[in-house]
Amino acid sequence: MFKRKSKSSSNENQASMDSEDAGEAVSVPTVGADFIRMVSDAVHHTADLVVKPIPPNLTLIYIDNLVDTVTLNKHILEELLEQPIESPENIVSILSVPQVKFAQKNRESVEAMMDGCVLIHVEGYAQVVLALIPTPESRQVSAPENESQVIGAQIAFNESLSRNVSLIRRYIKNPSLCKEDLEVGKQSKTSIAMLYIKDVASDQMVTTLRQRIADLQIDSVLDSSILEQLIDDNSLSIFPQMLLTERPDKVSAEILNGKIAVIVDGSALAIISPHSFIEFFQSQEDQNLRWQTATFLRLLRFGAVVLSVFLTPLYVAALTFHYEVIPQTLLVPLSESRALVPFPPLLEALLIELIIELLREAGVRLPTKVGQTIGIVGGIVIGTAAVQAGITSNILIIIVALGALSSFTTPSYMMGNVIRIIRFPLILLAGLWGFYGIMLGFCFILVHLLRQTSLGSPYMAPFYPPRLIDWRDSIVRLPLPFTFKRPTNTRPEDEDKYKPEPVNPEKNEQKVK
Amino acid sequence: MKQFYFFVVLLVVSVGLGGCAETKILEEVGLTTLVGYDLAKEDGVESTAIIRQVGTELQSKVSIITAENATIQGTRAKVNRRAAEKLESGQLRGVLFGDEFAKKGIGHSIDTSLKNPAISEGMLLAVVEGDTKSLLEYEYPSIDEIGQHIHKLLDQNIKSEQVISSTLHEVSYDYYAVGRDIALPIIKRDEELVDISGIALFKKDKMVGTLLVDDSFYVKLSRDDYHNGTHELKVKGDELSSTLLKDPPDEISLVFDPIKTHRNLKLVDLKQPEFDMNISIQARILEIKDNINIGDAKSAEELEKAISKKLKSEISRVIAYCQEIGSDVFGYGEYYRSSVRNSELTEEKWREMYKEMKVNVNIDFTLIRSGVFE
Amino acid sequence: MKKSLQIRPSDTINAFLLFFIIHAAQIGIGIQGFQRIVYQDAKHDAWISVILAGLATHIIAIFMLKTLEIYGSNDLYGIHQDIFGKWIGNFFNIIYILYSSVSFFAVLRNYIDVVQSWVFPDLGTWFLAASLLLIIIYTFTGGLRVIVGMTFFSVVLSIGLFPMIAFPMKYMEPRNLLPILEANLGELLKGLKSMSFTIIGFEILYVIYPFVKDKENAKKHIHLGLFATSIIYLSIMLVTLTYFSGEQLTKTIWATLSLFSIVEFPFIERFEYIAVCFWMLIILPNLCLFIWSAFRGTRRLVNISAKKFVWIFSSIIFLVSLTFKTRFQINTFNDYFGQLAFYIIFIYPIILYFFATVKKKFKSRKEQVD
Repeated sequence: MFKRKSKSSSNENQASMDSEDAGEAVSVPTVGADFIRMVSDAVHHTADLVVKPIPPNLTLIYIDNLVDTVTLNKHILEELLEQPIESPENIVSILSVPQVKFAQKNRESVEAMMDGCVLIHVEGYAQVVLALIPTPESRQVSAPENESQVIGAQIAFNESLSRNVSLIRRYIKNPSLCKEDLEVGKQSKTSIAMLYIKDVASDQMVTTLRQRIADLQIDSVLDSSILEQLIDDNSLSIFPQMLLTERPDKVSAEILNGKIAVIVDGSALAIISPHSFIEFFQSQEDQNLRWQTATFLRLLRFGAVVLSVFLTPLYVAALTFHYEVIPQTLLVPLSESRALVPFPPLLEALLIELIIELLREAGVRLPTKVGQTIGIVGGIVIGTAAVQAGITSNILIIIVALGALSSFTTPSYMMGNVIRIIRFPLILLAGLWGFYGIMLGFCFILVHLLRQTSLGSPYMAPFYPPRLIDWRDSIVRLPLPFTFKRPTNTRPEDEDKYKPEPVNPEKNEQKVK
Repeated sequence: MKQFYFFVVLLVVSVGLGGCAETKILEEVGLTTLVGYDLAKEDGVESTAIIRQVGTELQSKVSIITAENATIQGTRAKVNRRAAEKLESGQLRGVLFGDEFAKKGIGHSIDTSLKNPAISEGMLLAVVEGDTKSLLEYEYPSIDEIGQHIHKLLDQNIKSEQVISSTLHEVSYDYYAVGRDIALPIIKRDEELVDISGIALFKKDKMVGTLLVDDSFYVKLSRDDYHNGTHELKVKGDELSSTLLKDPPDEISLVFDPIKTHRNLKLVDLKQPEFDMNISIQARILEIKDNINIGDAKSAEELEKAISKKLKSEISRVIAYCQEIGSDVFGYGEYYRSSVRNSELTEEKWREMYKEMKVNVNIDFTLIRSGVFE
Repeated sequence: MKKSLQIRPSDTINAFLLFFIIHAAQIGIGIQGFQRIVYQDAKHDAWISVILAGLATHIIAIFMLKTLEIYGSNDLYGIHQDIFGKWIGNFFNIIYILYSSVSFFAVLRNYIDVVQSWVFPDLGTWFLAASLLLIIIYTFTGGLRVIVGMTFFSVVLSIGLFPMIAFPMKYMEPRNLLPILEANLGELLKGLKSMSFTIIGFEILYVIYPFVKDKENAKKHIHLGLFATSIIYLSIMLVTLTYFSGEQLTKTIWATLSLFSIVEFPFIERFEYIAVCFWMLIILPNLCLFIWSAFRGTRRLVNISAKKFVWIFSSIIFLVSLTFKTRFQINTFNDYFGQLAFYIIFIYPIILYFFATVKKKFKSRKEQVD
């Protein structure tokens, strides 16, 4: 279905588009009445089509809910009524609307109307004037909620494509920042913008990504998260291969690294690719903090992931098969807390993990205030009650809670979900074959990760293939003078972010003297 | 292709269903923490196992089960039949041998323990004065779990170097080494407590003699290097010069803490064989009965000399005793093997030589400090 | 020469990855218990045998490289075909494919035995074999890039195991090593021969060499890899010799694992249980490289897709591994395999080099005549 990489399907697609064009490439009729009929036929006489003739020779056509009535009245109608109009060129000079253009073809004008244009037809001319005055249907930009940061910009994308692009343009005022417009969805015709910096981003990757989006044959793309699943390298994998983020500063930073951003109209998340596995655990805040703190936090976060994935399985394995590895001092508290539990450790752990997941899911679905209460009440009440009722051991509660806590430190929500979910098969393996099972699962995950690519670049970069220079900004973050190179997995056309200056603070001091 | 994936799924499922491993869930197994072996009738073994069980009152219980059989694993099966839970030896911390059993030979028991991968090489071994059964079954008012208590007792004393280290690894090292014999601590019940009373000396795997617990210091001193631990010494009064003490009593007791000792062995004569053993001890005095001022260098030197002399005679006495019973716990044989090229040393050959062996002991005792108050 | 391999640039690897490949291919299952086998021959001078074996690998690697350099970019299978002609060359190729397969089997079956002896005595051979083979199939079908990635992570992640040998050093008796060189040269060489089962694996060079991108740097990294292996073997051997007494060592089947058994942390003890399971990560690249080298050879003989090959290969290995039931069988197999490996790895490369140079001279003379 989504054989986007095959050349033949794209050619077919191209061919069908051409034939469609040939059928509908009808020029705009010169007679006003014909034009009105053609437009209303094209939109199947929809009820909100407004046809407004302005005598002697003008006809305005638009869709009621798509245009901003205030602008229409103030800047179009008033000015058109002021003086007689002789030609479409004349209108352009009169209208005080920023986006005005001509259309010769019928199809083109109808499509523009669906975007929020007013069609102005002048009797006797085979072209229409398109004045773009769409309704400003977007909320104000707000602070990021899912990826909040202490230090850093408090601004997130909203659902308007143009607003989102403008946010990024604010950060990168470089004329080389390219924006390519694409359209996906046979029904929805969603606008998509692809952003990258020419001469920094790899041309080959830009071509690949453009091709992938263009080759999509799907009726609609309602959100960028759907688009991400459609265009990433392996849709069957549990690991996301492209980053979804709501932070314009993150997007800008990644674009500057030579990556490509994709923004979908109507979605508050931008797609960034290529993105390697390790980069999912990096937060934009790491760049804002001092490098020592940032390194510590990254190590903490990465340690938390390892802990989150392996702690519960290790508990299950040790208690089910390998009691030998438990030190004497831990043996007594462990066995005593397990004494009342009627289930084997495997079931016990699965039960508690499921409860935690339930609490989380309930907290997400409910309104914020209720959600918080549910989290606290559920966590404390169910946890305590479960231990007192003897369904679980309190040590497991600690372990599971720690694991859950750790999984939330992942900056990417998508990756955080993965971290939580891959625990379940590992717990199962641990319950069936102990440490051997865990190792089996670990090797499988490792091989799986090695097999993945992100937009054709290795997913395990920079560790494999090893690029030592990229390790400076991986699970550690060295000071900025050391991280002057763009990551190699983006295959940037221009490798240096900036000229590395010699790191020598004393020298600077001498200069001051 | 679809069929192919079907086979993969089938494979995974069948593997998943058929390949489950046998579980040993922590609270469902009876963990043997300590085992004691005694000699039973007709050369059989009587095992006493201390088994930790977890009760529903969130309290650990300990049960002691005894069984007799011809082999060690046989008694284990028998104990298992009497226990409420399946016995597992992965948490075995100690093995005790009754002295009768030890005299018969413990080699077989060491061998059996090594074969079992579940048994830790850090497990501690000891000999019990009398039989282990009565030691273990006695109800001590102040001891919760006798198995763990004995392990902690031995472990603590080994760590503070009061007694010879006797982990399974070290014992089997000595057992299999040519020219080195096993030495194990001896424990006994002393009223309401368990006490380390001495060390047992083995010839190959049979216990042939014992030394008092105070003598274990000398064994350890001449066996390997020392780092901490304390030792009490009685120095004869007339061995001290009159400058140190005007009117010396018969005996002066002093306690010192060897901060660092070093044993230096040298083979001087191949034939007999004859060794020079130089032991340097750096120590601090913790206590001297009858206050002697050792503040000045001269008197300190005097005291050092007296202590050295005493230590020398004690060590010589211990070595002579070991030679007499034919137990080379010091590892002189191993030293001989490693010093003499192509010695082709065998067990029997060394036993012969060991009897004739001569050791010249030299002690170099240095007092480095005597606390913070003079 | 004209028969050189055509390799897509995306399949090539950096020369410094050879360090990981050589190192990971060498260290596998043998390291768990090579000490007693060498000790039986060279006694307490076994560590000298280890050094000698390490030196031997360096020398053989030089011969291998020289042979490969004559041909520029070709692997052993192509070289065979070139030197001996199609039929005899293919005969040698089959022998080498079989050797790779048997090495694969040896590692797999020995690992299964270790798991069954230490951790799960009742877990079926068929399950362990099937589970390992499934992972190997998954890795192998990912291509060379994934296999090499696995070797890289295997080496990096198992670095953490190495410092654990500091724990047994507490019980060291350094005098066990004295007197040095008591064993005579014959015994030492015998020890070297016994090392061959443990130290083989670097012959993967013969097959992987054409895939190396910057061949001029290959030499350095190959020798570094061999050196790292030798250092690890030597340090483990030294610790083992001083930790165990003579007869104790001859009775300890997996001395390295016994060394781990003394490791203790506040939260975990009996580290060998973890080590045994963790060893899966160490043997995986081993196995993948062997199966890959067998595949490269088979590819020369018959036109077969990687997927088909790996399934057929795994099924055969699976069935064969079921026929080995007792420790005795495995040990006998190891002995024979060690002998075979010794001749293939330590003798044959020199002969091959000799043939290759003769052939080269012959050819250049012919060209001069022409």
